[in-house]
Amino acid sequence: METVREGTASRDGEGERPFELPEVMTGTHGPEDGAGTGTPWPDDVPPEQDDTWFPLRDQPWKARRLEYLIASLWMVTGGCGIGLMICYWTGGQAQVEGALLAAAFGCLGAGLVLWARFLLPGQDVVGSRGIHYSDQEERAAVVASLSRGTDAMMARRGFLVKKVLVPMGGIFGIAALWPLASLGPRYGRFLYHTAWYPGARLVDENGRPIRVGDLEVDGVLTVFPEGHTDDTLPQNAMSPAVLLNIGGDVIHERKINVGFEQRSGGNGYVCFSKICTHAGCAVTLFNVLSMQLVCPCHQSTFNILEDCKPVFGPAPRPLPQLPLLVSPDGYLYAKSDFVEPVGPGFWNRGGPA
Amino acid sequence: MSTVAERSTARKRALLEEKVLDEIDDRLGTSKWLRNAMDKIFPDHWSFMVGEIAMYSFVILIITGIYLALFYSPSGSVVVYHGPYAPLDGQKMTQAYESVINLSFSVRAGLVMRQAHHWAADIFLAAIAFHLCRVFFTGAFRKPRETNWIIGLTLLLVAMLEGFSGYSLPDDLLSGSGLRVVFSIIQSIPFVGVWVAFTLWGGAFPGTSVFFTRLFVIHEFLFPLILLGLLGAHLGILWHQKHTDFPGPGKTEHNIVGSRLWPQYAIKSGGLFMFIAAIVFGLGGFVQINPIWVYGPYSPARGSAGTQPDWYVGWLDGALRLWPHWEFRSFGHEIANPFFPGILLPGIVFTIMYAWPAIDRRLFADNEEHNLLDRPRDKPLRTAIGVGALFFFADLTVASATDLIGNALNISFELLIEILQYGSFVAPIVAGVVTYKVCNLLNAQNAHPIQRPVGGIIVRDARGAFHTLGAEHAHEAHDGDRHGNGGDSGHGGEEPGLEAAGLEAAGLEAAGLEAAGLEAAGGEPAGG
Amino acid sequence: MSRTNKSRALAGPAALVALAAALFSVLVWAVPAPAQSKASTNVAAKAPAKVAAGTVANDAGGTIAVSTNPATITAGQFLYDEHCQACHGSGAVGARAPQLLDVGPAAVDFMLSTGRMPLNSITQQPLPGRPYFNKTEIAQIVAYINFVDRSHGTPGVGIPKVTPASLSEGNQLFLLNCSQCHDASGAGGMLSHGYVVPSLRQATKEQIAEAIRVGPRPMPGFGPGQLTDQQVSAIANYVYYLAHSGNRGGFGIANFGPVPEGFVAIIFGLGLLLLVARLIGNRG
Repeated sequence: METVREGTASRDGEGERPFELPEVMTGTHGPEDGAGTGTPWPDDVPPEQDDTWFPLRDQPWKARRLEYLIASLWMVTGGCGIGLMICYWTGGQAQVEGALLAAAFGCLGAGLVLWARFLLPGQDVVGSRGIHYSDQEERAAVVASLSRGTDAMMARRGFLVKKVLVPMGGIFGIAALWPLASLGPRYGRFLYHTAWYPGARLVDENGRPIRVGDLEVDGVLTVFPEGHTDDTLPQNAMSPAVLLNIGGDVIHERKINVGFEQRSGGNGYVCFSKICTHAGCAVTLFNVLSMQLVCPCHQSTFNILEDCKPVFGPAPRPLPQLPLLVSPDGYLYAKSDFVEPVGPGFWNRGGPA
Repeated sequence: MSTVAERSTARKRALLEEKVLDEIDDRLGTSKWLRNAMDKIFPDHWSFMVGEIAMYSFVILIITGIYLALFYSPSGSVVVYHGPYAPLDGQKMTQAYESVINLSFSVRAGLVMRQAHHWAADIFLAAIAFHLCRVFFTGAFRKPRETNWIIGLTLLLVAMLEGFSGYSLPDDLLSGSGLRVVFSIIQSIPFVGVWVAFTLWGGAFPGTSVFFTRLFVIHEFLFPLILLGLLGAHLGILWHQKHTDFPGPGKTEHNIVGSRLWPQYAIKSGGLFMFIAAIVFGLGGFVQINPIWVYGPYSPARGSAGTQPDWYVGWLDGALRLWPHWEFRSFGHEIANPFFPGILLPGIVFTIMYAWPAIDRRLFADNEEHNLLDRPRDKPLRTAIGVGALFFFADLTVASATDLIGNALNISFELLIEILQYGSFVAPIVAGVVTYKVCNLLNAQNAHPIQRPVGGIIVRDARGAFHTLGAEHAHEAHDGDRHGNGGDSGHGGEEPGLEAAGLEAAGLEAAGLEAAGLEAAGGEPAGG
Repeated sequence: MSRTNKSRALAGPAALVALAAALFSVLVWAVPAPAQSKASTNVAAKAPAKVAAGTVANDAGGTIAVSTNPATITAGQFLYDEHCQACHGSGAVGARAPQLLDVGPAAVDFMLSTGRMPLNSITQQPLPGRPYFNKTEIAQIVAYINFVDRSHGTPGVGIPKVTPASLSEGNQLFLLNCSQCHDASGAGGMLSHGYVVPSLRQATKEQIAEAIRVGPRPMPGFGPGQLTDQQVSAIANYVYYLAHSGNRGGFGIANFGPVPEGFVAIIFGLGLLLLVARLIGNRG
């Protein structure tokens, strides 16, 4: 099957001989010899030099078979379309949909590629790159136009631009910053204080207050200040803390900050912020054997027995510790908020709240 | 076997085409441009199609993204879920998370679309990265193409941000943790960090109810618009400057060899598009990605092992893991730890990459225009630096998976991190030196030159006559290669087309090109 | 081209389409569609419905009784002496390895049924594997240790009975208490000092409940003061559901999150596309 195509410029009747230029000079600037854009197609190209040649031109039987193959592939695409309709009709199923979509697109693509590779002219064509830049004359003309215009504008009225437009425009631009500032509130207390308050009982995520004895020795629990268990609220987000029972008797030689730990009947409670001092993830991988807390995000490791000093990884500071007390009826409560800002560092962390 | 019937159909079609085009031209004068466009020649080396893979992935991203946006609800207000997924029944969650759960469980084709969208994003970035490497190692960024290098890098940067903002939209545990880390990184910027973070989030982390609206606008509108604009500029400049090509027989700095846009290149390209769609949707249906129902709704108190970003942000996550526990404090102020790996490192990396065309110009004292590409070995220094950088990124990316690698290989993450910390210095240097040596070795041996199958190249000379450079010349060239050069022809055995190995080595005199009056190719005879 | 020719020309493609469709439907049939399987939807739909809110009773679960039959205990002692005594000492008083005088049936059953014990070397971290003993043998050893512990006056933790419970409650508890180590998908992770966090995806409900109560180090234990039996059952049910409800989205690729996803995207996704590009483009 030969491609019969008539060039636009020489379509003057004699379409008997198939012709198609084997090579075109493209590019808006055209090559030096003038055979560039718009040059009429020479219609005296000898047939053996045309680019209607394609890999299967001399094997019409094979070409025919390939046409059938392509047709079949595209019919599969159509079939997949029907399949998809049925699939959606019956409620849909992710894997079936994926398979049908993949098959549909795959067959469509395979058909196109087979066509392009075996049934379309396969020879490389050579063209001129042309010139992608302007010549000196054109450049000079632009400069001339620009300065002619600017001169006309600025002559004796330059002060309008320099003394009025620029400063006034600047003021107007600064005014635009105000709506931008309204995007976020002043950060106020959020970075310095959490929702913990003196006397806040430690509760679990369901609001149940924690008593001494609730945790086994080496037990771990995420605690919240009473009344602030919804940690998805900005005012509560920095409050989650880890309550650990490090035992009382067996491990008395462990170095823990006096006043932050509560011991009672074989239990020794310590409580640390759950917000990593590195990047703020929830630190609660608890390795009982080494008494370490590990952050799941960047593997910062804190030694519980040294007041959660960072011993490995990028965290630069210990996890802040919550001072604990035990009420007469056995509930654990906070003596105060954390004594230092919780979570990752920021420019003014050392400053006043 | 063109029959009379077929010919008359062709003529009818031609008449129709003419009529339509006439009508259009009457109004817009498009004919000249259109003919240029259709006859435009594109070199079709396979590695030039990687940019197209990125482009078509982007098209798929837009199409699937529009579908997803029809169901996503960008709201941080809290709702109680009652739906088909039992483990979340009765739980409080943001409307954003609920809408993505519903999208995955209740919407027709929702899960496939969502997964395909995510896979397309991963492939989009992978294709951009590969394309960047191709451009870098072949020197395609050299004059006059520096502008497109800069636009391309900006595309990569915006695509990364776009990908991350999409990863963050569902408000599941994984995306929440990612946002938490990003909030901390922004907060760590000196002077303005806290203000910027609070401004973006509309308040303290995890943000007020406006946050997801903003994130949605950014992901859905701002970044895609920037991407579209930059992509348009990228392609427009490519169109104007024309594609680069590898040196080879018949190729010069002033000509271009390839397929015409219409129909060969367009059909091939369309076929590629369809294959991309097939793979993306196949993955979308058969390989699970980001199962947000498993991660559950985000809360700052929750965490999950294996908290990683998508692969293209992995190198930054790895940098956060590898950076030592340093912070700088003085005069009551501090530069917090995440600033260095999270802001400074990518800042330096992108600055170097943006400046690379200028650096390269000075490095090789080369201010010439180049339309023919370098082979990587031609510039051992550039190639060595590039390979070193790749090893650096690979090291950081591996570092973002320390816990998983530790789990899989039963190695402690402490050891892995230490190895990778040293590795981030040692691996790039070693890889760079080795690459440099290998390049020189290859140059000395002249092994495996760039070659292309010479089925037949038609060349037209200044007088308008046509010459076919075909198999008959390939034989000559091959002989020449064997006798004169002794270079390897072993690689030619892979496929018949490569029998012409060494055509360029033999020079174009052998091919008789000069006699044809065409400017001699082989401006960069690979044979040396 | 004549009409007959045309119809003949169409016969080939039509046959091919039919064949492809047949092949395809077989393929679709054969590919597992996990989340749609009957078993999982049953778990999903019915389990939580049965558990009315507010029926949490502290002793709802209770423990599974351990045999006190002297024959069983003797058989257990025989197995113990042969396989465990070398490290844990004669009469479970401890030697190179810890004593077992207060561990209770849950710990023994957990260690043996998950294949953690016996260990090859005492410096090794016990990790799950194929159980060394069969069910009867495990029950016998459990009975023996239970007998020893009771004689010692420290019975230890009994094997928790897992009752049907709310998946939603289990999901919340799991994500707050377990997922930071075990991954939200239960695929496991890594602790400090090279301790591997095992995957939960092969565990039975009983093993999960035992682990919660016992705290196989380096994992902490969760006592009844912290999690009620009902809550332990909820977690066990959820973890089991997580591992056995299949992956709705297709293959789970190890359920490890973005890292394997990135691998698939680059190696499989882009890799395949590069091959396609190589087929389509020129190979110079």
